[in-house]
Amino acid sequence: MTSLVTANGVTKRFKDVVAVDDVSFEIEKGRILGLIGPNGAGKTTLLKAILGLTDCEGQLSVLGLDPFKQRKQLMQQISFIADVAVLPRWIKVEQLLDFVEATHPNYSRGKSEELLKRTKIMKKSKVRELSKGMVTQLHLSIIAAIDAKLLILDEPTLGLDIIFRKEFYADLLADYFDEERTILVTTHQVEEIENILTDIMFINDGRILLEAAMDDLSSTYTELATSGANAATARGFGPIAENQLFGQTIYLFEGVDREKLKPLGDTRTPSVADLFVAKVKGAKK
Amino acid sequence: MIAHQLALMKREFWEHRSIWVTPIAIGIVISVATLTGQMSISAYGGEVDLGIAALSNTDEMHRRIAIMAMMGAVTGVFAVGAAIVMIFYSLDTLYSERKDKSILFWRSLPLTDAEQVVSKLLTIALVIPAAALAITFLTHLVVMTISSLWLMAEGANPWHLIWSSAPLFDVWAANILFALAMTLWFSPFFGWFLFVSAYTNRSPLLMSMMPIIVLPLIEMLLLPTELLASAVWGRLRLDNVPIFGIEFKQIFDEDDVLQMSSQDVSMFAALDLGRFFASPSMWAGLVVCGLLVAAAIYVRRFKDDS
Repeated sequence: MTSLVTANGVTKRFKDVVAVDDVSFEIEKGRILGLIGPNGAGKTTLLKAILGLTDCEGQLSVLGLDPFKQRKQLMQQISFIADVAVLPRWIKVEQLLDFVEATHPNYSRGKSEELLKRTKIMKKSKVRELSKGMVTQLHLSIIAAIDAKLLILDEPTLGLDIIFRKEFYADLLADYFDEERTILVTTHQVEEIENILTDIMFINDGRILLEAAMDDLSSTYTELATSGANAATARGFGPIAENQLFGQTIYLFEGVDREKLKPLGDTRTPSVADLFVAKVKGAKK
Repeated sequence: MIAHQLALMKREFWEHRSIWVTPIAIGIVISVATLTGQMSISAYGGEVDLGIAALSNTDEMHRRIAIMAMMGAVTGVFAVGAAIVMIFYSLDTLYSERKDKSILFWRSLPLTDAEQVVSKLLTIALVIPAAALAITFLTHLVVMTISSLWLMAEGANPWHLIWSSAPLFDVWAANILFALAMTLWFSPFFGWFLFVSAYTNRSPLLMSMMPIIVLPLIEMLLLPTELLASAVWGRLRLDNVPIFGIEFKQIFDEDDVLQMSSQDVSMFAALDLGRFFASPSMWAGLVVCGLLVAAAIYVRRFKDDS
């Protein structure tokens, strides 16, 4: 497989604060990578560096280009939704399509119009007349019609209700994603997207805590719900996190054979959210 | 590149409705004022007849001057309106896109910051003047048509009194050149406004006025020189614009008697392009504008608001 994004020792400082601290990773083609981290972890800064919106130290190559110096060429092959509601509020839907058509060489207006037909969005409407959910639908209908190799989504569904959020990701998979394309997404609502992700990357205080394929999580991480004497035995295996819930102790293990844990209680693969919390807490110790 | 610029300028035209709403509003006010003005003086029947008779007896040159003065006055009102639109547009354009975050969308498209800022400069230099000029010319025609209808109602011959001596193309050509020259002359101000608009985090209008008003004042108070005052304020004086080829004393003699013949009455001929383009001050202004626009592009590229 080929790497779409290669980062080597990427660092970004703002005066005294190190927002991204010596980060190295690769993103391969055809993956859906979830970049997960608390507020202020450096997620958005890292995305901005990948998009060429900010310069950084270290080596960063996106689609073989230097994102900061070759931003215009890069933007022909990347699309991104930086935040909800960044579409200009004064513009009419049809004007927006006209403008993107005139400025983006890889945009298919026909596809946008096809996608918009499935929504209640009128072409004569102004963006300010649309609900927040509809603005996101509109933005996705433009992004999905751009033949881009890499799509970057930074909190694309923040502030939307649950129905729009679910629809957004369903539409994203149906209308945009195929094995030729790659998606990099950040969100707080990780439980809503963990079933579509192929890879996850945890970031905290500007550093990467975990980089893994979703398929590998079950072989590395095990969550065990247990109680009584079994709990004491389980603790002997060195859990990375421990919680009490409904009289039971929930342990999270890393690199412990699941077969050894099964006799001690109920085992399963931890959710991404639980794993994230465990990793962040573990890193602070 | 050119296709991108056209699309970008169209975008500015869509976004800033004041570009065409302002001149249309001015045109309507002038047209209505002409109409009501002429209707109300119709009440003075005798005086109106005398006035028309007097007008009919003047020679073509005087009628030409009168119509030129009317057209010039109309153009003047539009010029003030367009200048206000230009000032507010240039202060707002790079500020509001940051405020409403739409800059993040514009920057998600394969366009450079330079292309986008240049399109805003071109909107100031070409789109706003073009919209204002088109509606100015239309208003000239409307005012003359209203006046013709009124003259016909009063039993006079509008072809003889107005149209035969109306220097339409002379005035229009002069208006176009004048607009271009004014835009070039005042370009350092618009460069400054674009820079402030890209840079400031609050109230671009106040921020932009600080150096224009406060710095020259400080210089005058603290230093024996008036360099800033003459550079900044001096540029704002219309009689300093090196475009006028003749002076009023050449038109009238000491007894206010007209010194011209019919062929000399030309607004176009009164503009001296040679003098304008030979003016070091004009070129210095363009350089300052270029530097400020480059600074605006740099700031838009590097300023991180998050």
